[in-house]
Amino acid sequence: MKKNIFSTNKVQLLIFLLPAFLIVLLFYIIPIIITVYVSFTPMRNWNIDKYFNVIVGLQNYNRLFSLITRDPVARQVVMNTVVFVAITLAINVLGGLGLALANFFIDERVSTGFRTLWLLPRMTPIAVYGLLWYYFFHGSSIGMLNSIAMSLGLIKKPIAWGQEVIPWGPWSIIIIVNGFVGVSFGMVIFYSALKSIPRELIIAARVDGASNWKLTTNILIPLLRWHLLFVTTWQLLSLLTTYAHTFLLVEWGVVSRTYGQTWALYVFNTAFGRGEQDQGLAAAAAVILVIFGAILGWITVRALGFNKMITKPKGDI
Amino acid sequence: MMQLWDVEVKSRKIEIVLILAVFLASLPLILNYGLLILSSFSTEMVTNLDPTSFRPTIDNWILLFEGRLSVTGGVREDVVRYTINTAIVALGVAGVVVLVSVMAGYAMSRMNFKGRSLIMQMILLLHAFPGVALIIAVYLIFRATLPSDIELARIYSFAYVIVARAALEIPMSIWLIKGFFDRVPWEVEWAAIIDGASRLRVWREVMLPMVKPGIAAIAIFAFLAGWEDLIYVRTFLFDRTLATYIESNINVEFAYMPLLAAAGTLYLLPTILFFILTQRLLLETSTGGIKG
Repeated sequence: MKKNIFSTNKVQLLIFLLPAFLIVLLFYIIPIIITVYVSFTPMRNWNIDKYFNVIVGLQNYNRLFSLITRDPVARQVVMNTVVFVAITLAINVLGGLGLALANFFIDERVSTGFRTLWLLPRMTPIAVYGLLWYYFFHGSSIGMLNSIAMSLGLIKKPIAWGQEVIPWGPWSIIIIVNGFVGVSFGMVIFYSALKSIPRELIIAARVDGASNWKLTTNILIPLLRWHLLFVTTWQLLSLLTTYAHTFLLVEWGVVSRTYGQTWALYVFNTAFGRGEQDQGLAAAAAVILVIFGAILGWITVRALGFNKMITKPKGDI
Repeated sequence: MMQLWDVEVKSRKIEIVLILAVFLASLPLILNYGLLILSSFSTEMVTNLDPTSFRPTIDNWILLFEGRLSVTGGVREDVVRYTINTAIVALGVAGVVVLVSVMAGYAMSRMNFKGRSLIMQMILLLHAFPGVALIIAVYLIFRATLPSDIELARIYSFAYVIVARAALEIPMSIWLIKGFFDRVPWEVEWAAIIDGASRLRVWREVMLPMVKPGIAAIAIFAFLAGWEDLIYVRTFLFDRTLATYIESNINVEFAYMPLLAAAGTLYLLPTILFFILTQRLLLETSTGGIKG
C-alpha cells in the first residue's frame, strides 16, 4: 500500500531537529544539571580535578545564607537587586508605553527616526555602550553630568556620582544605563500593538470628539492589557538576570561594587571575578536565582494563562 | 471617495509638544553617541560640552591602527587583528544560528508531530532562562574539554565561543523563523511534494528562497549579538576582540581617552551601518534580545 506522501517521515523529522536538539542538550540541559551539581561541591578556582568528586551537601547554601544575614556586602546585594529590579521595571514598562503612545500620535516619518534611535542602545556593543556612560558619569570635569552640573552652578567641583553619592548615586546609574536599553522592548511591542488596532475604532472616537488623553485612557490602554502583562513579566525576568552592562560599570569603577552589584552580577563575579573564585557558592546563588525566577514566572503564567500569553503578543510583532 | 484619515483631525500643536518631549527624553542618547564620535576626531574629549575642547585631528585613528595606546607609550596592540577576531566570532554566530534555526523552524512550522506545541513553549522558556546560571557550567565543560596543545586550544576557544554564544540566540531565532515559514502558502510545498521531492529537497530548494527576509533578519540579529558580545568573549576566547580591548584599557594610566573614543567608534560602525540598512526589519522584529 502506498504511504500518504504528506505524512511526516520520522527520519527526516529527526534530521531537521537534530542540530537544535544537540545545542539545547549541550548548552542548556547538561549545564543546568552541572550547575545544580556544582552547588553541592566545594569547587573553587576551577580546580575540577580536585573538587568535582567531593560532595559537601548543603554547605554552599548555608554559607550563602549566613553571608546574606551577617555580611554587609552580601546583604547589600539583595537590597540592590530589589531596588534595581523594581524601579527599572517601572521605568521600562511605563517608559515603553509612553514612548509608544507618543510615537503613535506623531507623524510616522518623525516617529521612525525616534524609534530607531531608541533601539540603538539594545544593539550597541556592550563595551561601547558602557564607554558612553563611562564618559557621561566620569568623576572628573570631562564627565558630561559634572560639566553640566558645574556650569549650572549646582556643584563646585566634580563628583564621582557612583562612588560618593551613596546609595542613590550608584543605584540611579545602574537604573539609567539599563533603563535606556530595556525601554525599547516595551516600545516596540506596544507600538506594533497600537498600529494593529483597527483604525475605525480610533476614528469613531475622534468623530465623537475624544482628545488624545481620552482616547489613550479609554480605548488604547484597555486594548493593550495583554501586552502590558506580557512586557511586565518578560522584563521582570530579564532584569532579574541581566548583568553585562552593570558588570562593566562596576569593573570600571563608575559605580561602587558594594552598591552596584545585583544578584546576577554577584553570581558572575563570585565565579569569574578577581581574587578567589568560588564556583560552589556561585552555583548555589545561581540555583536560588533560577528558583526565584521560576516561581515569579510561574505565578504570572498561572495568572495569565500560558497559551494566551505566548500566542497573543507574538501575532502582533 | 473620502479617505478614512480625512476624518481624523489631529492637533498639530499637541503633535509638536509630543515631538519635543520625545526629543528631550532622547537627548542623553543623542549627546552620548554624538560626542563619542566627535571626540574620536579631537585631541581632547568633548564630553564636557565645551566647544573649545574640540580641536580636530585624525591622529587618534592613526594611533589606533598603528596599535599604540598613547603618543609616547611603547605598548603595541594589534587592533586590526582584534577587529578580525570580532568579525570571526560575529560571522560564526550568525552562521550557526541561521543553520540550526532554519532547520528546526521548518520542522516546527511544517511537520506534524507529537509534542510540537510543548516543544515550542519549552523553547520560549529556554530563552528566558538566566544565562548566568548556565555560564558557570558551560565554562566548566570548556575547561574539561580544552586540548592541551596551545595552538589547538586557541582554535577550540574560537569554535566554542561561537557555538556557546549562538546557543543563546537560537531559541528566539527558531520562533522568529517559524513565523516566516508559517506565512508561506501550503500549496507551494504540496506541489513540490507531489512532484516527488523529499522534504529535505523541498526545504532547500522551495522553502528557503521563500523565507529569505526571515533568514536575513535572524542572520543580522545573530551577527550583531556576536559582534556586541563581551561576557562570552572575555570568558572563553584566548584572543582579544574589540570588546576586551576596550574593557581592559579603561582606567589604564597611560591610555589616551580620545583614542578609546576612536576604538569605540570603530566598534560601533557596523552596528550603525546595519541599522541604517535594515531599519524597518529591526523595528518589526527586534524584540528578541535578552537584555534588560
